[in-house]
Amino acid sequence: MPILEVANITKRYPGVTALDDVSMSFERGEIHALMGENGAGKSTLVKIIAGAESADDGEVIVGGKAFRGMTPLDAKRAGISVIYQELNLAPSLSVAENLFIGKRVGNSRVRPDFGEMNRRAAEVLRELGSNVKPETLVFELSASQQQLVEIGKALVDNCKVLIMDEPSAAIAVAEVENMFRVVRQMRDRGVAVIYISHRIDEVFELCGRVSILRDGQYIATERTEGLSRRGLIRHMVGRELSETFPRRAARVGEAALEAVGLTGNGDFNINLTVRRGEVLGLAGLVGAGRAEFAKMVCGDVRPASGELRVNGRVRRFGSVADALAEGVGLIPEDRKREGLFMDFAIDWNIPSMSFKRLSRFGIVSQKKAEALTDRYVDALRIKTPSTRQAARNLSGGNQQKVVVARTLAAEADILIFDEPTRGIDVGSKQEIYSLMNGLAESGSAIIMITSDMEELLGMSDRVAVMYEGRVTGELTRGEFSQQRALELASGYTA
Amino acid sequence: MKRTIDFCQKNLALVLLVTAGAIFSATTANFFTLTNILNILNQNAYTIIAMCGVALIMIGGDLDMSVGYHMSICGVLCAMMLTRTAIPVPVVVALTVLLSVAAATLTTFLTELLAIPRIFVTIGEATLFQGCAYVITNSKTISNLPAAFKNIAQGALGHPSLTYATLIMAVFVAAMSFTLSHTYFGRHVFSMGGNLTAARLAGINTRRMKYIIGILVGFFLGVAAVILIGRTGAAAANTAAGVEINILTGILLGGVSIRGGEGKISNCVAGILLVALISNGMQLAGWNPYYQYIAKGVIMLCALGFDMFQMRRRSVMNNQRKEEIVKTAAREG
Repeated sequence: MPILEVANITKRYPGVTALDDVSMSFERGEIHALMGENGAGKSTLVKIIAGAESADDGEVIVGGKAFRGMTPLDAKRAGISVIYQELNLAPSLSVAENLFIGKRVGNSRVRPDFGEMNRRAAEVLRELGSNVKPETLVFELSASQQQLVEIGKALVDNCKVLIMDEPSAAIAVAEVENMFRVVRQMRDRGVAVIYISHRIDEVFELCGRVSILRDGQYIATERTEGLSRRGLIRHMVGRELSETFPRRAARVGEAALEAVGLTGNGDFNINLTVRRGEVLGLAGLVGAGRAEFAKMVCGDVRPASGELRVNGRVRRFGSVADALAEGVGLIPEDRKREGLFMDFAIDWNIPSMSFKRLSRFGIVSQKKAEALTDRYVDALRIKTPSTRQAARNLSGGNQQKVVVARTLAAEADILIFDEPTRGIDVGSKQEIYSLMNGLAESGSAIIMITSDMEELLGMSDRVAVMYEGRVTGELTRGEFSQQRALELASGYTA
Repeated sequence: MKRTIDFCQKNLALVLLVTAGAIFSATTANFFTLTNILNILNQNAYTIIAMCGVALIMIGGDLDMSVGYHMSICGVLCAMMLTRTAIPVPVVVALTVLLSVAAATLTTFLTELLAIPRIFVTIGEATLFQGCAYVITNSKTISNLPAAFKNIAQGALGHPSLTYATLIMAVFVAAMSFTLSHTYFGRHVFSMGGNLTAARLAGINTRRMKYIIGILVGFFLGVAAVILIGRTGAAAANTAAGVEINILTGILLGGVSIRGGEGKISNCVAGILLVALISNGMQLAGWNPYYQYIAKGVIMLCALGFDMFQMRRRSVMNNQRKEEIVKTAAREG
């Protein structure tokens, strides 16, 4: 008997049918991937299983007990734990305190027995194979260690179903293996793990079965053994896609941007060069200093020492505007927080870096702004019924294109893409890759920061790896291997 | 019909103002006369001028709670220079505005130095300014301001009730309205209110912009203080105390979001006038002033609720649009 079943779940939001008569089941001791493009209904389904939202129709059956209108407390009591992308930890409390948050430890009603708490926390951590100390404060932990604490919380709750929403998105490549190990351990304890991910490779590596949603409809459940990548993608997008990484016919030209001994913002003595027509992949763990390097290059943070050369000339950027004037533009990692004006229309977002350029005597020409918008909506094939739509209304992939468009509209041709395809669907990923290829072919220089190994090796002409604020190695196309990149990213340089 | 409702929700303050005006016209003999309307504008000129600054701050994503005491201390200093020194009137006015700009720049400086939202700095400053104003006036009202000074606010042009104060206000309102909607400076202000980090990474020098916004706020508050004491002919430590609540309520009713990034000056003017009409109505009805406080508090909370409601409504509409967009995109492949 499956530990968890959803039966004929339908959920409508005003104007949207997020889930349409969806049924599926999850077994004890399996890692079951849940896949689908953005907007397919995965997160709504998770919310319903967790009791955070109630379904309009259908029921959730946990361990044979059927719930209609399940509350979060019901879900918790039934043994369902969810680890969301934004972790739910109190950063200034210790690991042990976080593990037992909301629980009584010891006999006192007032003061928890901290000794007992730390002992039990140490047990949980040992079970997860972690060497983190229970007394450590959570903010001192790396992203993957924090995730481990979340998993520990689920363990303390004695969970039967563990739902993980894109757990690999927030942590670095080298730490993913460790997370996999813990997830497998949970499986071996008999927990049903529901694993939501956009990364096809890790689904094949980790999961026994995969269920696919598309536009709120249940499409299929397949065993990953015997399923082809093509087949999976076809289920997700409803059509065939050409090869994942389109070929590029770019000629590598002169150096566009050189960092010479660049130091500051947590980075030390960075020497990197990117040429016109080239994609330089920048790999490393989260916190290796890649984003910090990007912030210095794009003028947001002033380096303490060292120099930046743009087209062969030394440049000092006092602001992002200075860097843009030299053609250097950043496409930031977190499009919602750092890139977009979510409530503003597309025809505001795309020209938003260029208002000054589009104005005379301080007065913005609305006509020019609209023409610029139209040009980039066409060129990047941004799908929207009108440029008056708020950015919030677009899908993740189209939002990403808007962020790229606004940097291109500002006439930048030395581009830093920070995690360009995070959280966007397969179809949009391909379009972003083609777009990057087109840019390289037309002579732009691209630095691509990515934690997605496939993308790193598939798109880059060269790869530089960073570790703790330093560049630990550079690999040319011939030397590429996942193994080597991972070694460098963990500081192993021999 | 749908469009009418949409218009009413977008321009709530204007619709309510017209409604309130119509009710007063029907019930009061002398309400809908040119003289009375000009009088209302004259009485509120200083609030509307100050509002131009506060709205700028709010659209840029900040809040200022020191407005009342900021204006009070500027008014007091201005009155003291007028009555106790021989500095010529135009120089006094210029100095007052400069002092106001300096105070507002100090606010921006502290905001940047401490890296905290402007609201907290200004809450502290409000008390500081209040104390200073009481100390330097010794809690006494300064009156007997020179006629040449009072003329700046009270002088009239063409119609006895069309005062310079009203004209100055009209010019500022028009200028702010134009600046916000047509210049890149205005767009940058909206961008900052919409998403400060994104604005900075889009190449907007947000630090410099904050100083410029601060200077403009100081300018508007300084002029508003001059107009206020010019119209009443006297200044005291509490002359403009509490005016920030009226302004904030008016601005919120005018559709500026407390989270920043949206708003229209014309609607804010309507919002301020609406608040003024309501207070005026309560005074005419002879309400106990304490009940008026209660009413103002309720209106302020309603304005916040309206802001929330606008946001919810938008998110429902967004969901509907998003589905349409996703469907169209799917059809087109």
